[in-house]
Amino acid sequence: MPELPELNPVIHGKLRLALLSLLSSVEEAEFTWLRSKTGSTDGNLGAQLLKLEEAGYVAVEKKFVQRKPQTLYRMTDNGRTALTDYVQALKQLLGAAIES
Amino acid sequence: MTSNAEKMDLKDRLSLIESMIAEGRRTTESWGWTFVLWGVAYYIAIAWSALGQSSIAWSVTMTVAGVLTGVIASRIAGRHPGTTTGRAMAAIWIAMGISMFILMMCLGITGRLELHMAVAIVAAMLGTANATSSIILKWKMQFASAVVWWAAMVTALFTSEYVTGIVFLVAIFFCQIVFGIYGMISESRRHKGGASAQGAYHA
Repeated sequence: MPELPELNPVIHGKLRLALLSLLSSVEEAEFTWLRSKTGSTDGNLGAQLLKLEEAGYVAVEKKFVQRKPQTLYRMTDNGRTALTDYVQALKQLLGAAIES
Repeated sequence: MTSNAEKMDLKDRLSLIESMIAEGRRTTESWGWTFVLWGVAYYIAIAWSALGQSSIAWSVTMTVAGVLTGVIASRIAGRHPGTTTGRAMAAIWIAMGISMFILMMCLGITGRLELHMAVAIVAAMLGTANATSSIILKWKMQFASAVVWWAAMVTALFTSEYVTGIVFLVAIFFCQIVFGIYGMISESRRHKGGASAQGAYHA
């Protein structure tokens, strides 16, 4: 019997999974946009984005636009690969669950 | 990994990925206002040049409309994330706008601009841009708009100046004003649908 894949624990958290999925569909996104789409609090969102940044899945850029601070997040190549692998593993596990 | 609860949890995560990707893509299509703005700009330029007989009517109106579009678009872009599709759309319309501006300005300066050719060129360019956008976005209504512009192009080349003028005004009304308002309503409905679909996610 083939061994079942492990799900990446960094991506498995629901908010982190939602964030990576959102970032996979855009080139880059502002902190406030991510907050509005996920309905998360500033603190929780910041903490989860930091975990994704530490894992090398998202890159952060801080700049000023019309004198207002703006924090932009974009998915890295590593993040895209990790999300693709996660989806593959998820489908494999679901397939195994349906078969058993 | 075979219990029903775990299976449901995995399915939830797969649904979450799909809904978030759809949510990200949904934000790219807020361009209805540009059609209305440019439709109004065309009408102002036509009225100004017809009533005021001003030679600068078109160049001034088009420049003001271009600057307004740039300012409003940059403000909207500041709030929404950029996507590849959004950049492709912007590229089509910016390139078309610059081509049309340079061509019309040169034709005007050299005295080679006359109504039939002007309407045919504008209609051909707008037809091409609308058709390209509609194919990328898979938006049938926009392709219908392109067909109206192509029909206006053909009509402009085969009819009198009076009919050409009327056809141009009618095409602007349907393809810019009506289509723009339709686009804004569709976008508003889509955004409302997206807002109600989103929920809270916890790590």
